[in-house]
Amino acid sequence: MYQYNEQDQTLINARVEQYRDQTRRFLAGEIPDEEFRGLRLMNGLYIQRQAPMLRIAVPYGQMNSVQLRKLADITRKYDKNYAHFTTRSNVQLNWPKLEEVPDILAELAEVQMHAIQTSGNCLRNTTTDHFAGISPEEIEDPRPWCEIIRQWTTLHPEFAYMPRKFKIAVTGGPEDRAASQVHDIGLHMVKNDAGEVGFEVLVGGGLGRTPVIGKLIREFLPKRDLLSYLEAILRVYNLNGRRDNKYKARIKILVNAMGIEEFRNRVEAEWEINREGELALTDDYIAKLKGYFTPPPYAADAVDGLSVLENQLEDNAEFRAWYERNTRVHKVAGYRAVVISLKPHLKPPGDITDVQLDAVADLADTFNFGEIRSTHDQNLVFAHVAAGDLYTLWQSLRDLNLARANIGTLTDMIVCPGFDFCSLANAHTLGVAEQINEKFDDLDYLYDIGDIKLNMSGCINACAHHHVAHIGILGVDKGGEDYYQITLGGSSREDASLGKIIGKSVPQAEVADTVEKILHVYVDNRLEEERFIETVRRIGLAPFKERVYAPVN
Amino acid sequence: MPLLINRAVVEDSWLLVDEDNLAAHINDDIVVPFELFEQNLETLLKADGQLGVQINGDQDVNLLLPHLAALALIAIEFPAFTDGRGFSFARILRRGGFTGQLRAVGDVTRDRLDHMQRCGFDAFAIPDDRYSDDILSAFGEVPVRYQGSTDDERPIFRQ
Repeated sequence: MYQYNEQDQTLINARVEQYRDQTRRFLAGEIPDEEFRGLRLMNGLYIQRQAPMLRIAVPYGQMNSVQLRKLADITRKYDKNYAHFTTRSNVQLNWPKLEEVPDILAELAEVQMHAIQTSGNCLRNTTTDHFAGISPEEIEDPRPWCEIIRQWTTLHPEFAYMPRKFKIAVTGGPEDRAASQVHDIGLHMVKNDAGEVGFEVLVGGGLGRTPVIGKLIREFLPKRDLLSYLEAILRVYNLNGRRDNKYKARIKILVNAMGIEEFRNRVEAEWEINREGELALTDDYIAKLKGYFTPPPYAADAVDGLSVLENQLEDNAEFRAWYERNTRVHKVAGYRAVVISLKPHLKPPGDITDVQLDAVADLADTFNFGEIRSTHDQNLVFAHVAAGDLYTLWQSLRDLNLARANIGTLTDMIVCPGFDFCSLANAHTLGVAEQINEKFDDLDYLYDIGDIKLNMSGCINACAHHHVAHIGILGVDKGGEDYYQITLGGSSREDASLGKIIGKSVPQAEVADTVEKILHVYVDNRLEEERFIETVRRIGLAPFKERVYAPVN
Repeated sequence: MPLLINRAVVEDSWLLVDEDNLAAHINDDIVVPFELFEQNLETLLKADGQLGVQINGDQDVNLLLPHLAALALIAIEFPAFTDGRGFSFARILRRGGFTGQLRAVGDVTRDRLDHMQRCGFDAFAIPDDRYSDDILSAFGEVPVRYQGSTDDERPIFRQ
């Protein structure tokens, strides 16, 4: 993974001291509340319902074991012994003290971490595929490009006060595990007819109040032009995005209002001016950054572990279930990618304790070249585990309550913290997640239902991406009571689609029962091998509506 | 209102005019609001004094590009600290060849000065109640720059 050089470290240290001084001046009354709000948000600090919340950046989901141990240590020293992973693959602390945040940032800087631009109306953390570099279908590893974007976005002087936040996602090929079509900019590595690799560029996707699938703005962008093209898009947006209404300020609204043709014309006109300038990437720079993402030293004899593994799978049904649900193919024979489930039974999705963080760091050192990745669906990934190590790793993870074999199943939910923590939320989410977990505790039933994506947001801001879940649940407030609106048929993958509302929202006590009715309709109607989303697309919403809203006898 | 130029507080020698007193000061060094500038373009270009224009984010910065050589000052207004259009305005004007004074006016306070300078501003009109002597330390707080910008177009990989 990328390692800071002296300049990167100097920048991060200076930013800590800059923020320390801003905090000091705010506490001394020299910066008005509203202005400090802008400054602290740009550094990841929210003021929440119970305490401040600090969002720490995990650039494109890449971490090492040293960083994980530091996070564990910080949660012990400054927080309540746990952290929470988010859909931007970042990590949040729910109980830091405002006046201690500069010290937390200084500790993070020691391990090349920071909270820069994890919030606010600026360029946010770039996300990518959590199987980057190991996926057989990948055209090229997207991570060097994410690092190039990270550097360009960090403290960009022109785009620090945009109409609204701005998120970029990159995929290494046609498979989309980064929800790139619902990002402000989605970049896909593609090969053109001449065999050159570049980017397909989408713009104007997003969720929130007005969910929109991104529109194609450029079929092929040469690699060297990546930053000049991004800068052109950002300049057109910074100048023309609406600033009178924050709910209409995202680039998706501008693109829809202007029309993609006109928006494209303006971007291309701006790009023509800048394209041959200093922003054009150099071969040296690209090669240098690619050098940080070379494959780890795989063992030549890893394939020998396959026969051992076969026996272990044969002998232990529990291990086999975990292997089938929680591991994925790796392009190197003898290796698998392991998804570490942060969705244990009856715990808030995405949460991890200090003890677990330390233990995962140790396991990463033993089994995964010291690397850990966070995913946009709030799990962790060990990308390079030798076949012969899987059983031992599984045992260790099981002892840590991190081996629930539910990846891709109904209980692998994306859930925002909701009303329990978030000051934006209208409704609770964590209790409803528990209710669903209790209802669907039977793993055999979950495996029978198979691949399904359920996401739940506590308000219309849609942090948990409910619009692009197969089953989306949105908490709403009805006269002081929590109600939940249900959508079906969304997807954040390469076949991205927005879910449709099935009818009136249901009371909190009935959410899991409603999900069960929906699953019954699926089971009754599915064709052989047909996944839930495919059945929904084939039969439409009517049968689901009929069952969910059938009069009770 | 302290005016910072080249990191020193200086006297403001310019007069911001309006519709009522434009005629009286037509041959002085004046800053003219954008609408007045458009309406009186020919007269202003022929007048004796130095000419400045004040523009805000709702106006079209591209309309200034043909007149850059005739302008000695452009003031860009920041109506609120959250409004970042002025940063792009500055870069577009400098890219267009403007070499005169580029002044930030309105909500111009310490924690945005460095970004403003990087985008091409060289003069900052700071509200009295937000001015303090340590404001100069705002420049260069973060000494490493990943991106090119107007002050140095070279991104980190060309530095």
